[in-house]
Amino acid sequence: MSSAISVRHLTKDFRIGIRGLKLRAVDDVSLEIPRGQVFGLLGPNGCGKSTTLKIVLGLVSATAGEISILGEPSATSSARRRTGFLPEAPYFHKFLSGRELVRYCAQLSGVADADVDAAVEDALGLAAMTEAADRTIGTYSKGMLQRIGFAQAVVHDPELVILDEPTAGVDPVGSAAIGRMIHAMREKGKTVVLCSHLLGQVEQVCDRVAIMDRGKLVLEGAVDDVLARRDRHVMTVEAMTPAARAAAEAALAAHGAKVASVTHPRRSLEDLFRELVTGSRDA
Amino acid sequence: MKASLRRMLWISRITFLEAVRQRFFAFLLVLSAAMVLSSVSFRVFDFGHGELKFIADFGFGGMFFFGSVLAVVMTAQLFFSEIDNRTALTLLAKPLSRAEFLLGKFCGAWAVLGVFVVVLAALQGTVLWAREQELLSLADPAAKLAPAFNLEGLLQLVLLQWLRLGVVISIVLAISALARTFLFAVVVGALAVVAGQLQWIAQDAFLRPTDSQLYAAFLWVSTRVIPNLQQFNLADALVLGSTGVDDGAILVVVLSGLAYLLAYLTLGSLIFRRREI
Ligand SMILES: Nc1ncnc2c1ncn2[C@@H]1O[C@H](COP(=O)(O)OP(=O)(O)OP(=O)(O)O)[C@@H](O)[C@H]1O
Ligand SMILES: [Mg+2]
Repeated sequence: MSSAISVRHLTKDFRIGIRGLKLRAVDDVSLEIPRGQVFGLLGPNGCGKSTTLKIVLGLVSATAGEISILGEPSATSSARRRTGFLPEAPYFHKFLSGRELVRYCAQLSGVADADVDAAVEDALGLAAMTEAADRTIGTYSKGMLQRIGFAQAVVHDPELVILDEPTAGVDPVGSAAIGRMIHAMREKGKTVVLCSHLLGQVEQVCDRVAIMDRGKLVLEGAVDDVLARRDRHVMTVEAMTPAARAAAEAALAAHGAKVASVTHPRRSLEDLFRELVTGSRDA
Repeated sequence: MKASLRRMLWISRITFLEAVRQRFFAFLLVLSAAMVLSSVSFRVFDFGHGELKFIADFGFGGMFFFGSVLAVVMTAQLFFSEIDNRTALTLLAKPLSRAEFLLGKFCGAWAVLGVFVVVLAALQGTVLWAREQELLSLADPAAKLAPAFNLEGLLQLVLLQWLRLGVVISIVLAISALARTFLFAVVVGALAVVAGQLQWIAQDAFLRPTDSQLYAAFLWVSTRVIPNLQQFNLADALVLGSTGVDDGAILVVVLSGLAYLLAYLTLGSLIFRRREI
């Protein structure tokens, strides 16, 4: 099966100023994003993440390179029918209510007339926006804007969802909620591509990550692989005594291995919390 | 095809909603309506058909002028509000072609101007008809000369003015597709309307013999690129049908208007397709 997104030797120059000065926003990037996974695109501000995503969606044209989405050349409307997009710092027609916006997007995305109502309610439910759906978008907070943006991106049940900084400006509780929405999409077998600066959350929700710097791709791989240090090993030992430790070190030294450090493993605050607290009364 | 039409209709629907919610639209509508109604007070000149003509010129002049302002400013505004607020980013990431987006904008804006023209024409027609009845009842001999108010002519006028504004909208959209800023689009759009009003001068000049090939070429190009907007202004000829307008002449005006409208929409779509959002 073809990749969800395949980018080959993508380069993008922006012309800035009238003297034809060029800014290379994306520099020879090649990426294969497999289907059914959550893929994180990371990098500092201005490294070209959003530009890459916009090119993938055909909103900006590439200077060089080839892109395909779900096996189809990008920028065709049939490829976009199977894709949902939440732009960074989203902004919608503020005189519409949340529900009207999602309905509008469902109509534009080709949801069949008979299915529109159900699709709109599903999307609002998934984004936890059902309650606020009848308020006009002008009255929404940043977190609600991101969530209604998520709803409009998934209303046509796309196979691929592209989220550009879905958690920007959202508080930790809201970010966790968005993390759960991403997880729910993954459970449904969808591919999710997201940009984010919340590295902790990316580590939790993503299967694979790529890191860009100054327009170049500097690393790409499965989260477990890129974070594991294959040259180091951790052994967790119970009932350690000083004598046992000295003997173990000697035995290791006999094979040319060296103990670099001995520490106590740390549990995460979350694990501790879960151990102590039995669960919310509401759950 | 059906899906494409549906997407376009939705774009125009939202565009229409956005436009009629703007104060600018309400303001110009009220201003033009006030102008039409104020013409009722022009009784000082009691010179029969001259008075009706004056009322018609004044009222239709307002409709014509404010309609043009609305067509230029509102169209550019509706286009740039989507680009500047980045709502276009969300919309164009959907299976929506650039041409559908632009055509949707066109239909939305054209519908708004349709409302504008119909409301004002209805008001103007009522004023003319009422004054005509009044003049006739006075049994003033001069009033007998008054050209009869012609309802069919009024409908034709509405259609022609609406078509003229459609041509203006399509020009402004083509300019907006190219322009980087709202201000640029408005200024160039306004210049284009003025050029369109004066186009007949170039057309006249073109018919006169000239020595300069370059000048002749310039005239030829400008008379083809710029539509003659003046030809839609048959207001008093139609509504106070004394002279009467030949149906064939109207048909020619309508066809040439439609041709310009389609040409500019096509051009706009081609330009917009290359635009980076
Ligand atoms: N339309 C444009 N014209 C000129 N330069 C642009 C344009 N869009 C982006 N750039 C430049 O391209 C570079 C990459 O921008 P991009 O928005 O892709 O960054 P990013 O990785 O998404 O950053 P952030 O994390 O801040 O969102 C930046 O230097 C930016 O200034
Ligand atoms: Mg960005």
